[in-house]
Amino acid sequence: MAEIQNFTMNFGPQHPAAHGVLRLILEMDGEVIQRADPHVGLLHRGTEKLAETKPFSQSVGYMDRLDYVSMMCNEHGYVLAIEKLLGITPPVRAQYIRVMFDEITRLLNHLMWLGAHGLDIGAMTMFLYCFREREDLLDCYEAVSGSRMHANYYRPGGVYRDLPDQMPKYQASKWRSQKDVDRLNAVRSGSMLDFLQAFCDKFPACVDDYETLLTDNRIWKQRTVNIGVVSPERALQLGFTGPMLRGSGVEWDLRKKQPYAVYDQLDFDIPVGVNGDSYDRYLVRVEEMRQSNRIIEQCIKWLRENPGPVMLDDHKITPPKRVEMKDDMESLIHHFKLFTEGYCVPEGEAYAAIEHPKGEFGIYLVSDGANKPYRVKIRPPGFVHLSALAEMVDGHMLADVVAVIGTLDIVFGEVDR
Amino acid sequence: MNPAYETLAARIEERFGEYVKRIPSTCNELTFEVDSDHFHSIALELRDEPEFGFEMLVDACGVDYLTYGQDEWTTQEATDSGFSRGAIRGPVILDEADEFDPRRFAVVYHLLSISHNKRLRLRVFVGANNPPITKSVVDVWSCANWFEREVFDMFGILFEGHPDLRRILTDYGFVGHPFRKDFPLSGSVEVHYDAELGRVAYQPVNIEPRISVPRVIRRDNRYDSELTGRTGNDK
Amino acid sequence: MSRIRSYIKTFTLWELLQGLSVTLRHFFIRGVTIQYPEEKTPQSFRFRGLHALRRYPNGEERCIACKLCEAVCPAQAITIESDVSADGTRRTTRYDIDLFKCIYCGMCEEACPVDAIVETRIHEYHMESKGENIMTKDKLLGIGEKFDDMISADKAADAKYR
Repeated sequence: MAEIQNFTMNFGPQHPAAHGVLRLILEMDGEVIQRADPHVGLLHRGTEKLAETKPFSQSVGYMDRLDYVSMMCNEHGYVLAIEKLLGITPPVRAQYIRVMFDEITRLLNHLMWLGAHGLDIGAMTMFLYCFREREDLLDCYEAVSGSRMHANYYRPGGVYRDLPDQMPKYQASKWRSQKDVDRLNAVRSGSMLDFLQAFCDKFPACVDDYETLLTDNRIWKQRTVNIGVVSPERALQLGFTGPMLRGSGVEWDLRKKQPYAVYDQLDFDIPVGVNGDSYDRYLVRVEEMRQSNRIIEQCIKWLRENPGPVMLDDHKITPPKRVEMKDDMESLIHHFKLFTEGYCVPEGEAYAAIEHPKGEFGIYLVSDGANKPYRVKIRPPGFVHLSALAEMVDGHMLADVVAVIGTLDIVFGEVDR
Repeated sequence: MNPAYETLAARIEERFGEYVKRIPSTCNELTFEVDSDHFHSIALELRDEPEFGFEMLVDACGVDYLTYGQDEWTTQEATDSGFSRGAIRGPVILDEADEFDPRRFAVVYHLLSISHNKRLRLRVFVGANNPPITKSVVDVWSCANWFEREVFDMFGILFEGHPDLRRILTDYGFVGHPFRKDFPLSGSVEVHYDAELGRVAYQPVNIEPRISVPRVIRRDNRYDSELTGRTGNDK
Repeated sequence: MSRIRSYIKTFTLWELLQGLSVTLRHFFIRGVTIQYPEEKTPQSFRFRGLHALRRYPNGEERCIACKLCEAVCPAQAITIESDVSADGTRRTTRYDIDLFKCIYCGMCEEACPVDAIVETRIHEYHMESKGENIMTKDKLLGIGEKFDDMISADKAADAKYR
């Protein structure tokens, strides 16, 4: 009889299915995982310590770089924590803009996830289709903030600028006739809201396409059904939140249960899974995309009807308008004060959590009354989900590890911070 | 504050009595300071007793209160040398002390009750020991595993009863605990490729510390608790 | 009945054929590909790319060395030294932006009280040797002069939102 021996295998950190820089030490018995030990931290930048050394408003740009596929949601968590400590509420229009962009971000994140997860387990077409739809949403990001990814758009007290009333347009070139360009520019002729509305109109059909390709597909089902099953009790013990928790059948969504911004005034449903396997989590996320689309449409409608300020008018916290700043001495003083020293936040501590596309994203902020935070703790959903990886892959095959990593929806910017 | 939270606070105070101390909050959050020795049993009861039902540990993190309430602004007269004029780069405090201030290191736990839709924050000061040590709650909430590894990595707080207390975020072979307030922001070593050795090697860091905005604490009447009725001072 | 139906569907590869019909449909619809670099996607007037320092129409430098951008820069990428110039005005003698540190957050532009430092649409640039990542004052002013029309138009379009 031959001697049987466990193998230790190194997976990553440079592996296309590792979704970044995950290193896994796998102990294998043949092709079956006996023990998995994730090594993280290869992307650790010390964001929390960095944030302690700069005024409150300067760290917003660094929050984008945590989970770099759901940028504005990270910003929302951070500005909510500051607003909680300051005891201020931004104007309603700003809150609607935030909710709208949170949902755009959710679509961006889920599209990225669906594409990458599909690619990991053999559905390459998904990746191309999802990126095609992401392009329109990234154009919205660029139109409001000037940046396609790292927006730096939310501010304590509102959002930086109102939505633009024009979209950039294609130019004719030797590759494209004027007629072609006119066709492409048809959706870009109006404001950003018109462009987004056009996207919302066509998006449900796109989701139908994704579902036709995947939901009943026997290969997709063989790769995901009964892979990485987590019971509701274990999901709570493991600290799961977001689609991971809902996939296990626990109905928990901060947008419904502890509403922030204007989520309590919007109409949407919370999809819940049954079996807690990768396939159910896929179904939950796909349904969330449809619900996000509904929320965006409601926000567009409200924003069209209700113009108004998007930033709080308290110049101890928010900078004055540029025209005022140039004419008025007091505004100029406020401007200089805000951009040099910033503002002091009252002593205290706050925890603000939002329903991030990946789960509960929380910011725990301790202030000692200074113009810089004393301690910032980022509660990343991906970190907690990844910590359950070892338990989820136990007893599965090597190829299923890729499916489980995919279903966790992790991004290393936030896992490692 | 929400009356449901007041009831919960009263129940916790009644149940755990002298081992917990309620901390007033400015933003309607319930915070308790918990005695380090009894924390584990309190955590177990908070999870298991139906009236509390805190099934989930949302977050656990360390806090180093070494420089709490200190600012860096000392200059009175204006100069044209830039905003860094007031910044004092004080001497680095070394970690070699036998004992710490007992209120220096704390571990903060955020609990969530799905069944009652409530949140609770617990703060445990880990005492004067060097290295600081406290009880692990991995057996109460499984997800505490990585959170506690992170706290150990960043603050050097040990957790008694943790199954696998290793560094998690920093490099293999890293020295020091980066989130302690006496650890420099730029770190102490940097890596470079050494052509002679033919591999990546460490060398002392050569980044010059630069503070473009000093830390200042200003008294602001808007947040004065006597004038506005808000209760401050969470520490 | 439903069992028979699912049985038939299983054997006829029904759901795979359905999926293939989606991909077949996409085979015939117009592509969304852009022939970069001959052709470019539209760019917002708020786009935050390479920096530039601007001048007033009469050729005078806008920057007054107030150092707001230096203070507000989260990445500490900006270094400024200033002196009083020959005509008695306060001017920068050194204005460096380290592009390796810059995170393109746009805070410098937001903070500048005289609209001197701006982030332009330029996003295609490269460096060939060490040290080129430091944008000196001359380089920044050069970009500002070369692309003045574009920058002015973009800033004018955005002015009403700020």
